[in-house]
Amino acid sequence: MVAIQSPDAATGNATDAARQLRNRRIATHLGIFLAIVLSWEIASRAGWLDPLFYPRPSAILQSFWLIYVVNGNVWYHLGVTMSLVFAGFVGGSVLGIVLGSLVGLNGTLRRFLKPYVIVLEATPRIAVAPLLIAALGFGVTSKIAIIMLVCFFAPFINTLSGVMNVNQDKLELFRAMGASKWQILRKLVLPDAIPVIMAGERLALTAALSGALVAEFIQRDQGIGSLILVYTRNLNMASAFACIFTLTLLGFLIFRGMEVLDRTIAYWKHEEGRTRVSARRRKAMEGQS
Amino acid sequence: MKDQIMAPDTVAADIVVSGRGVGKTFADGSVVALKNADFGIKRGSFVSLVGPSGCGKSTLLRLVSGLIAPSSGAVTVHGTPVTGPRRDISMMFQKATLLEWRTALDNVLLPTEIAGTPTQADRNRAMDLLKLVGLGDFAFSFPAQLSGGMQQRVALARLLQTGADILLLDEPFGALDEFTRERLNTELMRIVAEVGATTLFVTHNISEAIFLADQVFVMTSRPGQVAKIVDVDLDRPRPLSIQTSPAFNALVADVRETLGAV
Ligand SMILES: Nc1ncnc2c1ncn2[C@@H]1O[C@H](COP(=O)(O)OP(=O)(O)O)[C@@H](O)[C@H]1O
Ligand SMILES: [Mg+2]
Repeated sequence: MVAIQSPDAATGNATDAARQLRNRRIATHLGIFLAIVLSWEIASRAGWLDPLFYPRPSAILQSFWLIYVVNGNVWYHLGVTMSLVFAGFVGGSVLGIVLGSLVGLNGTLRRFLKPYVIVLEATPRIAVAPLLIAALGFGVTSKIAIIMLVCFFAPFINTLSGVMNVNQDKLELFRAMGASKWQILRKLVLPDAIPVIMAGERLALTAALSGALVAEFIQRDQGIGSLILVYTRNLNMASAFACIFTLTLLGFLIFRGMEVLDRTIAYWKHEEGRTRVSARRRKAMEGQS
Repeated sequence: MKDQIMAPDTVAADIVVSGRGVGKTFADGSVVALKNADFGIKRGSFVSLVGPSGCGKSTLLRLVSGLIAPSSGAVTVHGTPVTGPRRDISMMFQKATLLEWRTALDNVLLPTEIAGTPTQADRNRAMDLLKLVGLGDFAFSFPAQLSGGMQQRVALARLLQTGADILLLDEPFGALDEFTRERLNTELMRIVAEVGATTLFVTHNISEAIFLADQVFVMTSRPGQVAKIVDVDLDRPRPLSIQTSPAFNALVADVRETLGAV
């Protein structure tokens, strides 16, 4: 979304200058990037880098062509990994948000659960992965369980603290208006906690991708993680690198997607979100009168 | 002046808020926030509650609103004892406490939503109230886009949206600069006169208390109590310049003396 610019001449000049600066920056970045790739290529061709472990950029490029176009085998695995990430992320964070709300709203529950939360917080969640596989067997179920496990905690803790730290002045306002507990929850506590819950979701999504890879490293049947294992075992490092760079791109896209989601859900925290909802509310009011 | 207009037998009926022996001691028993307060507030009158900070002004207001229960005595509103928050009372605080995720209009509509499902008439009323407080052009703005003074205006519109005939304001403009506060006070006077509400207004500013009110409850601390009730017989509408008149200064001296005597 680009904010509507005023046709003011001064503003126009300012954006022109900003655009020039941006273009110059992009050119610099591109230059540095090409220099790195080129020195890598040269170092590899000159024999300074062992091409077995550090494949040439040109070889990686070739592998991209191979696994995406000629063989096309990467698509399937990409799809598998992404479905896993999605399912585990949604499952883990829904669980985290629901349990976080319950524990945050119920003082008794909170007191009894606190020691376990502390223990769980101190334990690296991924260490439990082999146990989950032992319990649930190889396959999609245990993979999703692993991702849910690594995704659960950040939304849980953030929802918990968001729900507990509700603004006391606003609470008093709602009480003075005679609001019911349910109204306080729906109209105050949950919306008030949304920004901090979304921050937890961001952490969870990053964890989800790592969790999926660990699950695939252990199970070695399908998915990008398994593919990387197979390529590395066959000493096809160029293709392994192509997979890793694919994940880089995926991580980037996921990160951007999360930003879009954040701007949609926590709209009042962002200028363009406010503008959008403001226009929508105006329309709704004008449509009815 | 007012007393002469009223027939003697309507006097009791015209008291809409009254307290008899109202006291509040906080949980641990060591803080006596309010002791043995007796008062009556006439229908449509504007009462200021003035006193040093910590003397129990907010406590008295919250007792009237039903947010807290008295330790002794009772508060009666419209003839019935206050047992909890009620719809004929509306309250406003020092902080605007707007919901950041709602537009100004939706913030004003909040009390209506709490009470039920807003109708188109409610929405139109909220819009009219925003115009009344001078924010007609900002109905669809979010709190983050409004200045402190504008936010407090939204809170004022929300206060009036309920249609309650008793308004409780706890230092509503205390956090604003003096110019904004004076302007909002003047508007508040005009608006409550227009809607005919009974108003209880907390402040620690003596001049402000007198300027706005028909009656000033002067409170003193340790323990918090209503030490004196001062009648303000100044004509309305009151220009800002009235604050330099001899009659006004005499009232200030009266209040100051009560406050200083303890
Ligand atoms: N919830 C509470 N628990 C304990 N003490 C309180 C509470 N609320 C107010 N007090 C005490 O009661 C006294 C009066 O407070 P308050 O009514 O807020 O004063 P004011 O509004 O005049 O500044 C103060 O000493 C304050 O510390
Ligand atoms: Mg106070």
